[in-house]
Amino acid sequence: MAQRNLEKQLNILDYALSSLWRRRLKSLSLLLVFAAVIFLLASFQMVTQALTDKARQVLVYTPEITLQKMSVGRQEAIPLAYREQLAGIFGIRRVVPRIWGYYFDEVRLANYTVMGMELGEMPEGARLDTTLSGGAMPGTDERGRVVIGQSIKKALALEGRTTFSLFRPDLSLTSFEVSGEFSPDTDIMTNDLIVMGLAEARDLFAIPAGLVTDLCVYVANPTEIETIAKKISATLPSVRVLTRPQIQKTYQVVFGWRSGFGSICLLTALAAFVILAWDKASGLSPEERREIAILKVLGWETSDILAVRFWESVLVSGLACLAGMTAAYIHVVYFAAALFRPVLMGWSVLRPELHLAPRIEVGNILLILAFTVLPYLAATVIPAWRSATVPADSALGG
Amino acid sequence: MLIELSGVSKIYNQGKANEVKALADIDLEVEQGSMVCLKGPSGSGKSTLLAIIGCIFPPTSGRAAIAGRQLARLPDRFLTLHRRETIGFIFQRFNILPELTVLDNITLPLLPLGVPPRERRQRAEELMERFAISHRAQFPAGQISGGELQRVAIARALINSQPIILADEPTAHLDTVLSQEFMEIMQQLKTTGKTIVIASHDPLAFEHPAIDRIVIIKDGSIHVP
Amino acid sequence: MRPALVFGLILCLLLALDGVLFVDGLIRRKAEDATSAKLEVVTSGLGLTDLAVATEARYTRHPAVSDAMAPFMDHPGAIEHFPTGTFWLLPQR
Repeated sequence: MAQRNLEKQLNILDYALSSLWRRRLKSLSLLLVFAAVIFLLASFQMVTQALTDKARQVLVYTPEITLQKMSVGRQEAIPLAYREQLAGIFGIRRVVPRIWGYYFDEVRLANYTVMGMELGEMPEGARLDTTLSGGAMPGTDERGRVVIGQSIKKALALEGRTTFSLFRPDLSLTSFEVSGEFSPDTDIMTNDLIVMGLAEARDLFAIPAGLVTDLCVYVANPTEIETIAKKISATLPSVRVLTRPQIQKTYQVVFGWRSGFGSICLLTALAAFVILAWDKASGLSPEERREIAILKVLGWETSDILAVRFWESVLVSGLACLAGMTAAYIHVVYFAAALFRPVLMGWSVLRPELHLAPRIEVGNILLILAFTVLPYLAATVIPAWRSATVPADSALGG
Repeated sequence: MLIELSGVSKIYNQGKANEVKALADIDLEVEQGSMVCLKGPSGSGKSTLLAIIGCIFPPTSGRAAIAGRQLARLPDRFLTLHRRETIGFIFQRFNILPELTVLDNITLPLLPLGVPPRERRQRAEELMERFAISHRAQFPAGQISGGELQRVAIARALINSQPIILADEPTAHLDTVLSQEFMEIMQQLKTTGKTIVIASHDPLAFEHPAIDRIVIIKDGSIHVP
Repeated sequence: MRPALVFGLILCLLLALDGVLFVDGLIRRKAEDATSAKLEVVTSGLGLTDLAVATEARYTRHPAVSDAMAPFMDHPGAIEHFPTGTFWLLPQR
């Protein structure tokens, strides 16, 4: 009996497949559109997830507290003298001044990020050499030597030369010598960086002595970050205090996949509904009614006919889902989300090589299923109940 | 008696504004191996009577026993199960699904029975050989000739070895030659012990020598001349 | 061959492809670990706060430490005009 039942389900599956095959143009286009929707949805989700993951993983090492001076609601240079006021706060291990900012290259129309600091004072500063693919970090006393990211190397078209020049604000030129370049592996952090000493950065941006752009504060006990941040706020009211947890939180919002992904989901779910509206909402065609009536007279139960419809929907949506997700994974991992690069990177001139490694989580797959396959099943199987209303005797004439 | 109807009547949409009395007080007995023709103009209730004999729906009142089973209180599902074991249908215009192959059309009734493909093929091949349509097995049914189509329809009605064959106006859209061929096949089937009920108002059908009895239906009841 | 079997085969092929991708993913993940170590050093060594994904404007390159006002320099209610801004929300503090 169980054998018969299995065989019956297989027969019905056969029938569903062959009826899909008979309407292969329609089925195939449906499958393709459906797979494309899932592909877009899954790709987007994988990209944002991979980036969020990367951010979460890397930003654990971000400075514990960053101080910036605010004036007239805008950020401006912060006096080095503030360090003395900080010295009174118990628990601060080290304060590192930095000058960093953007250098707009008017020839290449690109924004470079310039970072000037005394590397020796930074945690792990001594190990930075391990992140280079060539050369070395400039020594403490070496002047005019910089380390550049991969995109800078490309943008400056160095081709073997090791010197290049940048304009100061008064349009006089200052030249730099490349002492090393960051490994392409670190592209996602260092792609657009020019790292130099504090003095060079001050010279390049013409920042008066005694001022820097921000102060990185390192504390003795990481669990005290919030307390110390509060103390700094109280001591220096004009200073904006950014803590590491805030930066991490910011990133979760920035990639805000809940909102961004949510809106995309709604759009694509809508698209899915449009497809099925086109497919099924028109109701049963005369041919379908005739087929159902014939099958009923020939001894098919209503449940068998519903099973055919159910299988058709499951096969189409299941195959579309599998194909779409596989394609999405290939797209994200092997083609570095090429389709989304314009959106993700906007109008950037410098673009990092993305090596994305999305995690595949059951929850995310279920989310995608819930937004695509479930509505499709609901919208295709439920109208099939109408086939129950087709009377068998309508196959009889006159 | 394979078919026993007594006092059968059928009212469509009973109790509603569009109530239609289709059959009233029909008594009919058909024994196994006989061939009966239901004759009457269209709208006379022939098809309704055929539907009751074919276990498509139970009568509104009266007793209908088909192959030893009372239809009256049978739920829809059991009607279906009983129908596929008992009745082979041949429709007006044959109702073959044109996109399916001849083989698939013939084996259609076997799918919900859970008959595996090999056995399905085997049974269909026997019948196709018998009706000389083996060479058309893989053709879409929409592409074969009228005569072949008719034999496909007959093969489909026989695929589950049903004891009763019901034919609804089978010759209405056939020319004389094909109509005669159809009746000859029916005659052969009769000799193998099938019980055949044909609803028709085509003289070629009801005047055929193999017909044992002609039942004239008029305005929903049996007309005795 | 019955259609169910053909479909089953296609399904198996797809799943086999997924299996290969999965194994390749595992290998990639291992390679990733070496990269991660470098990224950790570079992040703490330079005190970086942001990914270098979008460099079109200062607040897209360094959303965490940039001026929150930056996107709305022109007018407090001005709508962001860079494409990335439509996908990435403004930092909230």
